[in-house]
Amino acid sequence: MATWTWFHRFGSPPWVYGFARRWAPWFGGAALLCMLIALYGGLVLAPPDYQQKDAFRMVYVHAPAAWLSLMIYTTMAVAAAVGLIWRMKVAHAVAAACAPVGAWFTVAALGTGMLWGKPMWGAYWVWDPRLTAELVLLFLYFGYMGLRAGIEDPAKADKASAMLAVVGVINVPIIKYSVEWWNSLHQTATVMKLGKPKMDFDMLWPLLLMFLAFALYFAAVLLIRLRAELLRRERTASWIREVLT
Amino acid sequence: MSEFLSMGGYGRYLWPAFLLGFGIVALNFWMAVSSLANAKREAKRRLEMQS
Repeated sequence: MATWTWFHRFGSPPWVYGFARRWAPWFGGAALLCMLIALYGGLVLAPPDYQQKDAFRMVYVHAPAAWLSLMIYTTMAVAAAVGLIWRMKVAHAVAAACAPVGAWFTVAALGTGMLWGKPMWGAYWVWDPRLTAELVLLFLYFGYMGLRAGIEDPAKADKASAMLAVVGVINVPIIKYSVEWWNSLHQTATVMKLGKPKMDFDMLWPLLLMFLAFALYFAAVLLIRLRAELLRRERTASWIREVLT
Repeated sequence: MSEFLSMGGYGRYLWPAFLLGFGIVALNFWMAVSSLANAKREAKRRLEMQS
Protein backbone atom coordinates (compact mmCIF):
# COMPACT_ATOMS: atom_id res chain seq x y z
CA MET A 1 0.00 0.00 0.00
CA ALA A 2 2.79 2.40 1.00
CA THR A 3 4.60 1.57 -2.25
CA TRP A 4 1.59 2.59 -4.34
CA THR A 5 1.24 5.86 -2.42
CA TRP A 6 4.88 6.56 -3.25
CA PHE A 7 4.28 5.68 -6.91
CA HIS A 8 1.24 7.97 -7.14
CA ARG A 9 3.32 10.93 -5.98
CA PHE A 10 5.22 10.67 -9.26
CA GLY A 11 1.98 11.58 -11.03
CA SER A 12 2.01 15.01 -9.39
CA PRO A 13 4.04 17.58 -11.41
CA PRO A 14 4.72 19.95 -8.45
CA TRP A 15 5.92 17.06 -6.28
CA VAL A 16 8.15 15.76 -9.09
CA TYR A 17 9.49 19.29 -9.71
CA GLY A 18 10.43 19.63 -6.02
CA PHE A 19 11.95 16.14 -5.96
CA ALA A 20 14.04 16.95 -9.06
CA ARG A 21 15.23 20.25 -7.60
CA ARG A 22 16.31 18.58 -4.34
CA TRP A 23 18.05 15.53 -5.80
CA ALA A 24 19.75 16.67 -9.04
CA PRO A 25 22.72 18.39 -7.29
CA TRP A 26 23.39 15.30 -5.16
CA PHE A 27 23.33 12.97 -8.16
CA GLY A 28 25.51 15.40 -10.14
CA GLY A 29 28.08 15.77 -7.34
CA ALA A 30 28.29 12.02 -6.76
CA ALA A 31 28.65 11.44 -10.53
CA LEU A 32 31.55 13.89 -10.79
CA LEU A 33 33.36 12.32 -7.83
CA CYS A 34 32.91 8.77 -9.18
CA MET A 35 34.00 9.87 -12.69
CA LEU A 36 37.25 11.43 -11.43
CA ILE A 37 38.17 8.38 -9.33
CA ALA A 38 37.26 5.99 -12.18
CA LEU A 39 39.33 8.04 -14.67
CA TYR A 40 42.36 7.89 -12.38
CA GLY A 41 41.84 4.16 -11.87
CA GLY A 42 41.36 3.46 -15.57
CA LEU A 43 44.05 5.69 -17.04
CA VAL A 44 46.75 5.45 -14.36
CA LEU A 45 46.27 2.49 -12.04
CA ALA A 46 44.91 -0.24 -14.36
CA PRO A 47 47.63 -2.31 -16.09
CA PRO A 48 47.72 -2.53 -19.93
CA ASP A 49 45.84 -5.43 -21.52
CA TYR A 50 48.04 -8.32 -22.72
CA GLN A 51 46.51 -8.22 -26.22
CA GLN A 52 45.19 -4.69 -26.79
CA LYS A 53 47.87 -2.96 -24.66
CA ASP A 54 46.86 0.62 -23.71
CA ALA A 55 44.14 0.76 -26.39
CA PHE A 56 41.90 -1.26 -24.04
CA ARG A 57 41.55 1.91 -21.87
CA MET A 58 39.02 3.06 -24.46
CA VAL A 59 36.61 0.77 -22.59
CA TYR A 60 36.35 3.34 -19.76
CA VAL A 61 34.51 5.77 -22.02
CA HIS A 62 33.05 3.55 -24.78
CA ALA A 63 31.34 0.87 -22.67
CA PRO A 64 29.61 3.28 -20.22
CA ALA A 65 28.44 5.48 -23.13
CA ALA A 66 27.06 2.47 -25.04
CA TRP A 67 25.42 1.04 -21.93
CA LEU A 68 23.87 4.44 -21.14
CA SER A 69 22.49 4.76 -24.69
CA LEU A 70 20.59 1.49 -24.12
CA MET A 71 19.57 2.26 -20.55
CA ILE A 72 18.20 5.66 -21.54
CA TYR A 73 16.17 4.14 -24.38
CA THR A 74 14.76 1.51 -22.00
CA THR A 75 13.90 4.24 -19.45
CA MET A 76 12.25 6.27 -22.23
CA ALA A 77 10.21 3.27 -23.45
CA VAL A 78 9.08 2.33 -19.91
CA ALA A 79 8.10 5.97 -19.20
CA ALA A 80 6.27 6.14 -22.55
CA ALA A 81 4.41 2.90 -21.77
CA VAL A 82 3.42 4.23 -18.31
CA GLY A 83 2.21 7.42 -20.01
CA LEU A 84 0.17 5.45 -22.53
CA ILE A 85 -1.33 2.98 -20.05
CA TRP A 86 -2.00 5.24 -17.03
CA ARG A 87 -2.21 8.52 -18.97
CA MET A 88 0.37 10.01 -16.62
CA LYS A 89 1.57 13.37 -17.96
CA VAL A 90 4.78 13.27 -15.92
CA ALA A 91 5.71 9.96 -17.55
CA HIS A 92 5.47 11.53 -21.01
CA ALA A 93 7.62 14.41 -19.73
CA VAL A 94 10.23 11.89 -18.51
CA ALA A 95 10.26 10.18 -21.92
CA ALA A 96 10.65 13.53 -23.70
CA ALA A 97 13.49 14.53 -21.35
CA CYS A 98 15.31 11.23 -22.00
CA ALA A 99 15.43 11.47 -25.81
CA PRO A 100 18.10 14.16 -26.45
CA VAL A 101 20.40 12.75 -23.75
CA GLY A 102 20.05 9.25 -25.20
CA ALA A 103 20.74 10.47 -28.72
CA TRP A 104 23.95 12.21 -27.59
CA PHE A 105 25.18 9.11 -25.78
CA THR A 106 24.46 6.99 -28.84
CA VAL A 107 26.66 9.42 -30.80
CA ALA A 108 29.31 9.03 -28.06
CA ALA A 109 29.09 5.22 -28.24
CA LEU A 110 29.38 5.21 -32.04
CA GLY A 111 32.19 7.80 -32.13
CA THR A 112 34.32 6.21 -29.41
CA GLY A 113 33.65 2.80 -30.95
CA MET A 114 34.95 4.05 -34.30
CA LEU A 115 38.11 5.37 -32.63
CA TRP A 116 38.60 1.97 -30.95
CA GLY A 117 37.78 0.08 -34.13
CA LYS A 118 40.48 1.70 -36.24
CA PRO A 119 43.53 0.37 -34.31
CA MET A 120 41.87 -2.99 -33.50
CA TRP A 121 40.00 -3.86 -36.72
CA GLY A 122 41.81 -1.61 -39.18
CA ALA A 123 38.66 0.37 -40.04
CA TYR A 124 36.61 3.10 -38.41
CA TRP A 125 33.36 1.55 -39.54
CA VAL A 126 32.19 -1.90 -40.59
CA TRP A 127 28.60 -2.96 -41.20
CA ASP A 128 28.74 -5.25 -38.20
CA PRO A 129 25.44 -6.29 -36.52
CA ARG A 130 26.29 -4.50 -33.23
CA LEU A 131 27.34 -1.27 -34.94
CA THR A 132 24.42 -1.30 -37.35
CA ALA A 133 21.89 -1.92 -34.56
CA GLU A 134 23.42 0.92 -32.51
CA LEU A 135 23.06 3.20 -35.56
CA VAL A 136 19.39 2.14 -35.80
CA LEU A 137 19.06 3.20 -32.13
CA LEU A 138 20.29 6.67 -33.07
CA PHE A 139 17.67 6.84 -35.84
CA LEU A 140 15.00 5.76 -33.33
CA TYR A 141 15.97 8.64 -31.04
CA PHE A 142 15.86 11.03 -34.03
CA GLY A 143 12.48 9.58 -35.05
CA TYR A 144 11.10 10.05 -31.53
CA MET A 145 12.27 13.67 -31.32
CA GLY A 146 11.18 14.44 -34.88
CA LEU A 147 7.73 13.01 -34.27
CA ARG A 148 7.29 15.08 -31.10
CA ALA A 149 8.44 18.22 -32.86
CA GLY A 150 6.24 17.57 -35.89
CA ILE A 151 2.90 17.34 -34.05
CA GLU A 152 1.49 20.57 -32.63
CA ASP A 153 -1.08 19.10 -30.24
CA PRO A 154 0.96 18.03 -27.15
CA ALA A 155 -1.41 15.18 -26.24
CA LYS A 156 -1.23 13.72 -29.76
CA ALA A 157 2.55 14.22 -29.84
CA ASP A 158 2.87 12.38 -26.52
CA LYS A 159 0.77 9.46 -27.74
CA ALA A 160 2.39 9.04 -31.17
CA SER A 161 5.95 9.37 -29.89
CA ALA A 162 5.23 7.02 -26.98
CA MET A 163 4.06 4.35 -29.44
CA LEU A 164 7.27 4.71 -31.43
CA ALA A 165 9.35 4.49 -28.23
CA VAL A 166 7.55 1.33 -27.11
CA VAL A 167 7.80 -0.39 -30.51
CA GLY A 168 11.45 0.62 -30.89
CA VAL A 169 12.46 -1.02 -27.61
CA ILE A 170 12.76 -4.29 -29.56
CA ASN A 171 16.09 -2.91 -30.80
CA VAL A 172 17.58 -2.97 -27.27
CA PRO A 173 17.85 -6.80 -26.93
CA ILE A 174 18.92 -6.93 -30.60
CA ILE A 175 21.89 -4.66 -29.78
CA LYS A 176 22.70 -6.59 -26.60
CA TYR A 177 22.62 -10.06 -28.15
CA SER A 178 23.74 -9.20 -31.70
CA VAL A 179 27.28 -10.34 -30.88
CA GLU A 180 25.96 -13.78 -29.92
CA TRP A 181 23.26 -14.24 -32.57
CA TRP A 182 25.37 -13.26 -35.60
CA ASN A 183 29.02 -13.38 -36.63
CA SER A 184 30.49 -10.15 -35.32
CA LEU A 185 33.83 -8.39 -35.15
CA HIS A 186 32.68 -6.81 -31.91
CA GLN A 187 33.76 -8.64 -28.78
CA THR A 188 31.17 -10.49 -26.69
CA ALA A 189 30.07 -9.35 -23.23
CA THR A 190 32.98 -8.82 -20.86
CA VAL A 191 31.33 -7.39 -17.77
CA MET A 192 27.56 -7.67 -18.18
CA LYS A 193 27.37 -11.44 -18.16
CA LEU A 194 26.07 -13.96 -15.71
CA GLY A 195 28.80 -15.55 -13.62
CA LYS A 196 32.34 -14.24 -13.39
CA PRO A 197 33.33 -11.23 -15.53
CA LYS A 198 36.27 -11.89 -17.88
CA MET A 199 38.23 -8.85 -16.67
CA ASP A 200 40.88 -8.73 -13.98
CA PHE A 201 39.74 -6.86 -10.86
CA ASP A 202 42.39 -4.11 -11.31
CA MET A 203 40.81 -3.27 -14.67
CA LEU A 204 37.25 -4.01 -13.60
CA TRP A 205 36.72 -1.70 -10.62
CA PRO A 206 37.32 1.57 -12.52
CA LEU A 207 34.92 0.36 -15.20
CA LEU A 208 32.20 -0.53 -12.70
CA LEU A 209 32.72 2.83 -10.99
CA MET A 210 32.45 4.59 -14.37
CA PHE A 211 29.15 2.76 -15.03
CA LEU A 212 27.89 4.04 -11.68
CA ALA A 213 29.16 7.55 -12.49
CA PHE A 214 27.33 7.58 -15.85
CA ALA A 215 24.12 6.30 -14.21
CA LEU A 216 24.28 9.05 -11.55
CA TYR A 217 25.09 11.62 -14.22
CA PHE A 218 22.07 10.53 -16.26
CA ALA A 219 19.84 10.82 -13.17
CA ALA A 220 21.10 14.39 -12.60
CA VAL A 221 20.68 15.50 -16.23
CA LEU A 222 17.28 13.81 -16.51
CA LEU A 223 16.01 15.61 -13.40
CA ILE A 224 17.23 18.99 -14.70
CA ARG A 225 15.63 18.40 -18.11
CA LEU A 226 12.46 17.13 -16.45
CA ARG A 227 12.09 20.41 -14.52
CA ALA A 228 12.36 22.34 -17.81
CA GLU A 229 9.86 20.01 -19.48
CA LEU A 230 7.37 20.39 -16.61
CA LEU A 231 7.65 24.19 -16.66
CA ARG A 232 6.81 24.21 -20.38
CA ARG A 233 3.98 21.69 -20.12
CA GLU A 234 2.31 23.09 -17.00
CA ARG A 235 2.41 26.70 -18.19
CA THR A 236 -1.09 27.46 -16.94
CA ALA A 237 -0.85 25.64 -13.60
CA SER A 238 -0.94 27.64 -10.37
CA TRP A 239 1.98 25.75 -8.80
CA ILE A 240 4.35 27.32 -11.35
CA ARG A 241 3.92 30.71 -9.65
CA GLU A 242 4.69 29.18 -6.25
CA VAL A 243 7.91 27.49 -7.34
CA LEU A 244 9.22 30.50 -9.26
CA THR A 245 8.58 33.19 -6.64
CA MET B 1 54.49 12.31 -18.94
CA SER B 2 55.05 11.92 -22.71
CA GLU B 3 54.95 8.13 -22.20
CA PHE B 4 51.56 8.52 -20.49
CA LEU B 5 50.27 10.74 -23.28
CA SER B 6 51.46 8.40 -26.04
CA MET B 7 49.64 5.45 -24.39
CA GLY B 8 51.89 2.92 -26.11
CA GLY B 9 51.25 4.54 -29.51
CA TYR B 10 47.45 4.45 -29.11
CA GLY B 11 47.19 8.02 -27.78
CA ARG B 12 46.04 9.42 -31.12
CA TYR B 13 42.91 7.23 -30.87
CA LEU B 14 42.51 7.12 -27.09
CA TRP B 15 42.57 10.84 -26.29
CA PRO B 16 40.13 11.89 -29.04
CA ALA B 17 37.78 9.14 -27.78
CA PHE B 18 37.97 10.48 -24.21
CA LEU B 19 37.58 14.04 -25.49
CA LEU B 20 34.50 13.05 -27.48
CA GLY B 21 32.93 11.01 -24.67
CA PHE B 22 33.51 13.48 -21.86
CA GLY B 23 32.87 16.42 -24.19
CA ILE B 24 29.38 15.00 -24.71
CA VAL B 25 29.03 14.54 -20.94
CA ALA B 26 29.86 18.25 -20.42
CA LEU B 27 27.76 19.41 -23.39
CA ASN B 28 24.69 17.49 -22.20
CA PHE B 29 24.97 19.00 -18.74
CA TRP B 30 25.30 22.50 -20.17
CA MET B 31 22.34 21.93 -22.54
CA ALA B 32 20.15 20.67 -19.67
CA VAL B 33 21.01 23.66 -17.44
CA SER B 34 20.48 26.07 -20.32
CA SER B 35 17.13 24.45 -21.20
CA LEU B 36 15.97 24.86 -17.57
CA ALA B 37 17.12 28.50 -17.49
CA ASN B 38 15.17 29.21 -20.71
CA ALA B 39 12.06 27.46 -19.40
CA LYS B 40 12.23 29.48 -16.16
CA ARG B 41 12.66 32.73 -18.09
CA GLU B 42 9.66 31.93 -20.33
CA ALA B 43 7.51 30.97 -17.34
CA LYS B 44 8.43 34.16 -15.44
CA ARG B 45 7.64 36.28 -18.49
CA ARG B 46 4.25 34.62 -18.79
CA LEU B 47 3.50 35.21 -15.13
CA GLU B 48 4.45 38.89 -15.45
CA MET B 49 2.16 39.27 -18.47
CA GLN B 50 -0.71 37.66 -16.54
CA SER B 51 -0.34 39.91 -13.48
